[in-house]
Amino acid sequence: MKIRRIAVAAAMMGAGALILTGCSAPKSSELEKSTSLSVAWNQPFYSYNNNSSTGNNVTNANIRYLTSSWFNYYDNKSNLVNDTWFGTVKKTSDDPLTVKYTINKGVTWSDGTPVDSADLMLAWVAQSGVYNDKNVEPKLDDNGNVTNQKELDNAVYFNSAAQGTGLANAPTVPKIGDDGRSLTVTYKTPDVGWEINMAADLPAHAVMEVADPSITDAQKAKDALVKAVQTDDAAVLKKVSATWNTAFDMSGNLPSNKMLFLSDGPYVVTGLKKDQYITLKANDKYDGDHKAQVKNLTVRFIPDALSEVQALQNGEVSIIQPQSTQDVQKALDKIKNVKTSNIGASTYEHVDLTFNNGGPFDPATYGGDAAKAQLVREAFLLTVPRDKILDQLIKPLNPNAVVDNSQTQLPGTSTYDDMIKANDSSMYAKTDIDKAKSLLAQAGVTTPVNVKFMYDNTNPRRVNEFALIQASAKDAGFNVVDSGNKNWSSLLGNKSYDAIVFAWQNTGTNVTQAQATFQGDAGNNFNGYNNAQVNDLWNQIAKTLDESKQQELLRKMEKIVYDDAYGLTLYQFPQITAWSNDVSGVSDAPLSPTYFWNFWEWQTK
Amino acid sequence: MFTFILRRLGIGLVVLFVASYLMYLLTAYSGDPLADLRTSTALNKGQLIEARSDLLDLGVPPYLRYFIWLGGVLKVFIGQFTLGVDPTGAQVTGQLGAAMTSTLQLVTLSEFLGLFIGVVIGITTALRQYSGYDYTVTFASFLFFSLPVFWLAAMLKQYVAIGFNDFLAEPAIPWPVIIVLSLISAVVWQGILGGSWAKRGLTAAVAFASALVVLWFLDASNWFTDPSLGPIVCAGIGVGIAFIVTALSTGIKDRRALYSSLVTVAIGMALYYPLQYVYVDASVWTILLLAVIAAGVGILVGWLFRGPDRWRSARTAAITAVSLGFIFFVDRAMGSWQVFATSSFVHGRPIATIGSSTPQLNGDLWISVLDSYSHLLLPTLCLVLVSLASYSRYSRASTLEVMNQDYIRTARAKGLTERTVVMRHAFRNSLIPVTTLLTLDIGALIGGAVITEHVFGWSGMGALFNIALDKVDVNSVMGFFLVTGATVIVFNLIADVLYSALDPRIRVS
Repeated sequence: MKIRRIAVAAAMMGAGALILTGCSAPKSSELEKSTSLSVAWNQPFYSYNNNSSTGNNVTNANIRYLTSSWFNYYDNKSNLVNDTWFGTVKKTSDDPLTVKYTINKGVTWSDGTPVDSADLMLAWVAQSGVYNDKNVEPKLDDNGNVTNQKELDNAVYFNSAAQGTGLANAPTVPKIGDDGRSLTVTYKTPDVGWEINMAADLPAHAVMEVADPSITDAQKAKDALVKAVQTDDAAVLKKVSATWNTAFDMSGNLPSNKMLFLSDGPYVVTGLKKDQYITLKANDKYDGDHKAQVKNLTVRFIPDALSEVQALQNGEVSIIQPQSTQDVQKALDKIKNVKTSNIGASTYEHVDLTFNNGGPFDPATYGGDAAKAQLVREAFLLTVPRDKILDQLIKPLNPNAVVDNSQTQLPGTSTYDDMIKANDSSMYAKTDIDKAKSLLAQAGVTTPVNVKFMYDNTNPRRVNEFALIQASAKDAGFNVVDSGNKNWSSLLGNKSYDAIVFAWQNTGTNVTQAQATFQGDAGNNFNGYNNAQVNDLWNQIAKTLDESKQQELLRKMEKIVYDDAYGLTLYQFPQITAWSNDVSGVSDAPLSPTYFWNFWEWQTK
Repeated sequence: MFTFILRRLGIGLVVLFVASYLMYLLTAYSGDPLADLRTSTALNKGQLIEARSDLLDLGVPPYLRYFIWLGGVLKVFIGQFTLGVDPTGAQVTGQLGAAMTSTLQLVTLSEFLGLFIGVVIGITTALRQYSGYDYTVTFASFLFFSLPVFWLAAMLKQYVAIGFNDFLAEPAIPWPVIIVLSLISAVVWQGILGGSWAKRGLTAAVAFASALVVLWFLDASNWFTDPSLGPIVCAGIGVGIAFIVTALSTGIKDRRALYSSLVTVAIGMALYYPLQYVYVDASVWTILLLAVIAAGVGILVGWLFRGPDRWRSARTAAITAVSLGFIFFVDRAMGSWQVFATSSFVHGRPIATIGSSTPQLNGDLWISVLDSYSHLLLPTLCLVLVSLASYSRYSRASTLEVMNQDYIRTARAKGLTERTVVMRHAFRNSLIPVTTLLTLDIGALIGGAVITEHVFGWSGMGALFNIALDKVDVNSVMGFFLVTGATVIVFNLIADVLYSALDPRIRVS
């Protein structure tokens, strides 16, 4: 009985509640509507300062490209384009080389503070490193403890990725003008990279306010920083340098202090989830020519290439640039409603011969008979099956790929065509086994000639390259010995190999980049090549500010290099970008920031 | 006991020390941490190489550099513990903390789901040994066990995520598919329930008909674009739960327990509409509070039913109440589904293949619950499918062993019902080996799932290890090793101690 009564009571209560509350429906969840776009990158963002040597990474550069304005940028043909809305860079004198940077009125950071010469001053002092205390470097005792911590703390040290280059050659404190909107930098010697030596940097007032929390006014912070630079005030600069080096690293989620991610570009950072994604929204303080058309942008970090493809297919991201493999290309071919672009990246593969190891390509082997060694080198280079390598290994990933015929200019750039007409690379236009044989006979060496060939044997593409080269060279009388090594990069220049295949990564268009490779005894010269004429030409190139003259000297230089049978360039690394039909205006560029270069043209449907 | 623990810990430390030295050397010699800089054409390459060498002490040979690292670890005693920095200059300890949080999020749910489903499968297959059901499930679990994770993950992404999202764009199930699915349901259910051919036939017919009706209803009511259970389905499920819980907990013959469960369901249904208002601004704490209240109501109802063993009724009613609360939770979350799926950041493709949440989606509790679970779905499914085999096989074997013991025969001879024999006498003892397996798996849990994390873009411990090894970032690899190594050693010890606590026949010494 009792049970039944309780049940009846409960049922009555339920019925009552139903009647009481059935009238007005409760609120459901709501979300705001907006235009949004997600794009993918294969490495997580980790530092807002991409000019420090630890933060100097493409993944950081991409985000900083979205959040900063600068005098110029690279387009998809590697041309330097000026952003005249932001300001101008002008060479005002050739001797001494004087460069004037002027920022236009009305350019502000996202907190409303104007962008002016103080920010350029910070860029100069940090990137030039002229105040860096060279004598103070960390000293370690046997246990690895730093013994001179005190000295280090008292030292000015901007840990710049560009230290020793470019602006380091302009050590006098630049002059401020035009009501604090311009900065004039004077170089000691001519520098061909004057237009690109200074890069967009952090906001000066933010760095100063973080370094010295007692300053809270933006203008006072700017003044304090400029004064410290002008008077070489080590006490202030050491705090500034320490802040610049590490305070803008973001190893976790987004910091709460907004000073750490101010923007003067089209986007401003709104959120960061460590190793997952960074979110940005259109900067409402930005009034320039590159206004973002997509209000909300997310860059997601996806390390796995095929996962990127599936995320694109599932609509979670709209633009991807996965590592280029045949699997990726095949997977992309199968997806509907997706566009792909295949271009050559700024990284290029090349074969170098060693001149100084007592091997088959070293004159010393033939008792100093340079002509004989030269014939052997020419013969070997003629056997490198460049077309075959391109067709079998690269064309499947980039149907537009061409054999690279210049040591300093990349195919597709405006200077490339003139270069290959003049640089004698046509000598090696075709693989020519018969000619190689006759050259070897002319040299009078006993065949087979042993060639120790080093390559990265953990990289399948290079393993294939080696196999193709080995087979082709065998026909001409070379015995190519497998010296593949996974530690090849740390063995560069140790004379243990006669020939090598690896790649150089170009990071910009500065013509002097290749100087260290071809000048005798320079940093990237791993094969002992040393030609007085080439060295002399490089010294001239470094001082020549006129672009057409630069190119003329470069063509002369390359001609000598090819005539010396230095080595051969093979191809540019293929770079695959894919985007869904939801987004338009996407195009890919060889140089960093690759597909981000024209982000202001992106539109969603 | 105490000396046993101390001795085991001591041995563990020695093992950890030797293993860490080996690990350090193996990692350090596995590649070149400067490889990316060496092929750079940067004008100041030398300085860049020097800067990184200074940062990571690369000038010191690895067999000595280990002691710099060890020094940092030992500084724990003077409060300056450090595991060093990675090549970007970030502290490894910070990286580890973040990675562990994200790994625990990913792996915990799948670990417990895998355990629960695995044990259920194990026990039911043991009770239906050598039946068609047993063979089928065993075959399936071994099949999943032997699949490579990256392949399984890619398939899940292709069919469960991309395929299902495509389906959602035009959610219509064609009739042939409905009939085939219903036939599958008929075959599966008669296999599980078993019995005489007549009984099997009946089961199959019921299963076929109900699947047909359900699928037709889902299709006709646009359920996939705007899913909901509604009060009627909730009430039906609630009554079902009341019967099942009572059957497992006290047996269906205990009428007081059954009635108290049913009354709890009635009270719950009476509160169905009022609760909708509570949900509007609910937080996680609101939900937990509601769960506690539900359990309290259940206990109260069971207690009010009196009888000789009122706590049995109270327990049964409380479990029913919380289960019904869970159904309510699912019902309410479904109510937000359409808003979630059509938002500007989801674009009508709710099942995710990457990451742990949708960026910039700022919704209330219900939206974020849907978002989290739509991201957890694939990796969890992947991990559960792969881990099913070990749990189900272990619990099947141990259940079979226990069911053949003398005391089970005694219990049956006493005239106890099969439910009491299985649930009361066999179940607990059959769990002992599974407990050991679980404690050992916790080490693996902290270590993360290297491939799963990589493929699904989760930045957990596995991903940390993977990326660090790729860059020859020794400090990060060692941080990973220290955490997982220590966990494995500690949980090994716990497993031994636990074993002796669970099974009195085992003594540790």
